[in-house]
Amino acid sequence: MTNPSITKQEVQFRLKSSQEYGQASFSGIVSLALAIVLLLNSYVPSTGAFKPAVLIASLAYFVFTLLQFGVWALIRRDLIRSGAIKRSTRSLGYVLLLSLLSANIFIATSAFQLVKVKKSAAYTLAAYAWLTTVLVFAVSALNLFKPYVANGFLTGMFLLIVAAVLQLAALLLIARHADKAVLPRWMWAVAAVLLLTSVSGNLFALFLGLLLISKLRDKGHTSGSKLGEVVERLSRSSTSMLGLLFILFLLTLSITSYLTFDYGMAIANNYSLILQSPNLAYPLGTDNFGRDLFSRIVFGARISLVVGLMSTFIPVVIGGVLGAISGYYGRHTDNVIMRALDILYAIPGILLAIAIIAAFGASTVNLILALSIGAIPTYARTMRANVMLVSTLEYVQAARAFGASDSAILFKHIVPNSIAPMIVKSTLTIGTAVISTSSLSYLGLGVEPHIPEWGNILKLGSAYLETHAYTAIYPGLAIIALVLSFNFLGDGLRDALDPKLD
Amino acid sequence: MKNKTKFGALLLLSASIMLSGCSVTTKNDAAESPKPSEGTEPVVDSSPADIELLGMSSNEADINIIRDQLTKNGFNVKLNVQADYGSFKSQQDAGNFDIALSSWTTVTGNPDYAVRSLFKTGGDYSILADADIDALIDAAGAQTPAEYTETYKQFEQQLVFDKAYIAPLYNSLKAQAFNQEVLNKDSVRISKSRSLPWEALDFKDTAKRAKDALVLQSTIPTLTSLDPIKGNDGSINIINTNMYVRLVNLTDDDKITSDGSLSYNHAIAEGNSDYYFILRDNINFAQIKNKLAVDTGERVGADDVIFSLDRAKDKNSVPDHRTFTLHEHISKIELVTDTASLDSVKVTGGSDSVKAALEKGLSAPISALVSDKTQASSKDGKYQVVKLTTTEPFPQVLNYLAHQSAGIVSKKQVESINTYDVAKFDVNKDIPYGDQNTVTEGNAYNNTLYTSGPYILSSKNDYEAIFYKNPAYFKGTDNEPKINNIKIRFIKDADSSLSALRSGEIHLYYGVSETKYDVVKSDSKLTLQTIPSNAVSYLLFNTKNRPVATSADLRKAVLYSINQDEFLAYYGGNKFKAVSTLSPLVDTGLELKADSAKVKEFLAAYNASK
Repeated sequence: MTNPSITKQEVQFRLKSSQEYGQASFSGIVSLALAIVLLLNSYVPSTGAFKPAVLIASLAYFVFTLLQFGVWALIRRDLIRSGAIKRSTRSLGYVLLLSLLSANIFIATSAFQLVKVKKSAAYTLAAYAWLTTVLVFAVSALNLFKPYVANGFLTGMFLLIVAAVLQLAALLLIARHADKAVLPRWMWAVAAVLLLTSVSGNLFALFLGLLLISKLRDKGHTSGSKLGEVVERLSRSSTSMLGLLFILFLLTLSITSYLTFDYGMAIANNYSLILQSPNLAYPLGTDNFGRDLFSRIVFGARISLVVGLMSTFIPVVIGGVLGAISGYYGRHTDNVIMRALDILYAIPGILLAIAIIAAFGASTVNLILALSIGAIPTYARTMRANVMLVSTLEYVQAARAFGASDSAILFKHIVPNSIAPMIVKSTLTIGTAVISTSSLSYLGLGVEPHIPEWGNILKLGSAYLETHAYTAIYPGLAIIALVLSFNFLGDGLRDALDPKLD
Repeated sequence: MKNKTKFGALLLLSASIMLSGCSVTTKNDAAESPKPSEGTEPVVDSSPADIELLGMSSNEADINIIRDQLTKNGFNVKLNVQADYGSFKSQQDAGNFDIALSSWTTVTGNPDYAVRSLFKTGGDYSILADADIDALIDAAGAQTPAEYTETYKQFEQQLVFDKAYIAPLYNSLKAQAFNQEVLNKDSVRISKSRSLPWEALDFKDTAKRAKDALVLQSTIPTLTSLDPIKGNDGSINIINTNMYVRLVNLTDDDKITSDGSLSYNHAIAEGNSDYYFILRDNINFAQIKNKLAVDTGERVGADDVIFSLDRAKDKNSVPDHRTFTLHEHISKIELVTDTASLDSVKVTGGSDSVKAALEKGLSAPISALVSDKTQASSKDGKYQVVKLTTTEPFPQVLNYLAHQSAGIVSKKQVESINTYDVAKFDVNKDIPYGDQNTVTEGNAYNNTLYTSGPYILSSKNDYEAIFYKNPAYFKGTDNEPKINNIKIRFIKDADSSLSALRSGEIHLYYGVSETKYDVVKSDSKLTLQTIPSNAVSYLLFNTKNRPVATSADLRKAVLYSINQDEFLAYYGGNKFKAVSTLSPLVDTGLELKADSAKVKEFLAAYNASK
């Protein structure tokens, strides 16, 4: 099978430089692992039988895993033989796209990349935007099995389906036209529609809309926008795109849940449904008060995301401003600000949070403040270091020579060029904030116990770990997945924003 | 071509969603249909009332159920959840609540105790002041069981239904689990009211008695006081019950018995005001020397009984006296030395003389009554008899004598330790008898305990407390303690305690929660024992500075929001319905039924009166 005319190093290089090859092996392995997990879950040791529904899901995963490995082998053969993937191999990606029906996003995302030869940032974003909407629609549709649905359910689902159709149309149009140097004028309409659909929280659509607009306004004069470059680099890493997909999926789900999910199911006790095992009406089971765990976890995502994002955003702004000022002015300003922050830095973050909540009471606002204050010094330090580095650069000297004011230099020239490490750092710390929220709730210091927050749900579930394990496993998985997603995204962003790769 | 397909797809999708829309039941549809499960419809013509619920985080499940029920009945519930009993109590004392989730266990097993200190004006734990309630409590106290049921029914009607001072939730089971591979199954008793008697406990392998320690569990490492009259709470009830013997005991089903007590027999004289006790001669006080238990050689006698009960009823006998109200019916306690005086009195409801009643089952009849306890000798017929007189006819006094606060302490020892002036007691300087610091490891350690019960505390720290058996307690009888060394491990968290039991770190765990019964039952090395208990949970309404204090309508609206069936469902049927703290002791036939129509009515009345 190997071509004797090329060296081993060349083979290695061809395989490594192919995005599709890496993604195919990654999605194949993850899909196989999921298939095995499902298979193990479908087995009931007490009766020796298999649960049919789970078994079917597992088989579907196995089928697509086998297909994926077949495609992987073909890609490998193509690459070794000719250094490029054949059209026939690429067209197999359409078959793999069907894996979306089994909710196998790992294979689906790699298939999206496989079917297109030249992948632009717009194409990637369009594919992910559509995927996100479809996933949210599918997950929300599970509510149909419940005894009743939220009053806004039909409206919400209709809007979701409209968004999905529009985004699919945009995807097809972009796949065909986005590679052109100058976009046709009707792309304005596509961009506007995409921006409209991003109201659901689908930020992929928002980014895509913005990207299209910048490209339209650019009219082919420059090589492309910075956003496009970042997205292109980011999309090379499967893990960070999957992370972003999960985060935006949760964000969209949290926003659309205002219409499609019934809060009563998550918060009102129902004593006739105590501790039901997962079934169609209650996909993740019910807790010890008969509340639907699925709804609780969905509504919990809202709190986790809000607390995670806000408690990162606040210290980024405050710490960023303080760090920028102290880095730019130096000397006494620097000394006063940084020494004060050093004192704050010396207090352990979680202890500070516990003290603040103990003093002011448990509520979401206090929780955000408690987690924010402790994180200010680290952001100030990061910003200060960046600003000190950037302010010695020539263009800053030039701006100064032109007589620009301090604030103009600082906020127009220095801060925009020092912000990248802050973005990376903040993505990484959102995960920590989510964990801290859950830990504090677990300790009884977060939000009120009946509010569906992941830490609260996990706490209740932990008492039933032995008898009804699902009550603890699902919220635990949700926390793990969200934190992992933010970490992957942070990793990808660090690479994508690294100026050394320019 | 492509556009056509797209259009077709769009049409198909919209059609499918519309079709599915026809068969979907929305929340409003569900609420319109007459389904009883749906109770969230807005309350008509009565605006929601604010209610602040105070509770402890250990009762989070109950708090959530109450919150849910009140919310569904149109209240705005604000939660005030405190981490431990101390902060809960200080919030309660500060009045920061409308309703407080409270619980009460009648450890004496008599109905009077279930109401007196809780609801009588000026009672230890009472925040009520209602003359009608007081009168009913006093009236029932003087009555026999046959008579008091009707009085207590009136009392419950007043307390719960007419005036709604409390809203009852449920009556609990008492549950303990133990390691049956370590403990002898038949030696572990579970009693409705009585604390676990340690002297009965035995290892499965009796060879372990001398060397191995039996490990029990407790949640609170801070012991209120080891002086029995100075504490009445979960930290010391079991400990003091096993460190001090009493004149009588309770059986497992709350009958009065002399078995395992300081008296051979007791007799109630005609008129229900005079009570006689004939004392044993086979119990000596134990003390700790070099951290081990030794026999002091001092017998537990009538002078100690008189001293102990006199100080139990006297509010000023010690600072921080916590139990005098339990003994306020004791008027006089005295030594009887005249045998003839026993002969001349008849027992209540019978023709026997008190002397005959006291002699029942004794190996030697009474030949002489001695005043010096060292002269007493049962085999020679020389006994000590004490007579207790109550302020009014009050048969339930015997239940109070079975309470740990009526434990017998050494007159000689306590008098030699408590040399301070009670009125000028200085907590920084004076060290009272039973102070927990004197038994805590460290510089302040100076164990001066003299205990009359089966065990004595040697030392403690925050991790565990170590007890040794009293070498001169019922020696040679069935009541002699079997196991030499008992340890109490302090584990605050219920889940950790259960883990400790399952891993073999502790051998017996008292207070298993209902949600863990399945776990215990499924573990082959554990045995679960349950018995209906006298513990009742209820909501106590604030009586000061809150709308609930003045408006009975608002209180009744809360009362009828409570659905006890839902509590029973949540606890898997391991709770029972209750009307008041009396419910486990007196069956009055009353029942609280949730009624959202009444709630609306009372809320409307409350809003109208505002």
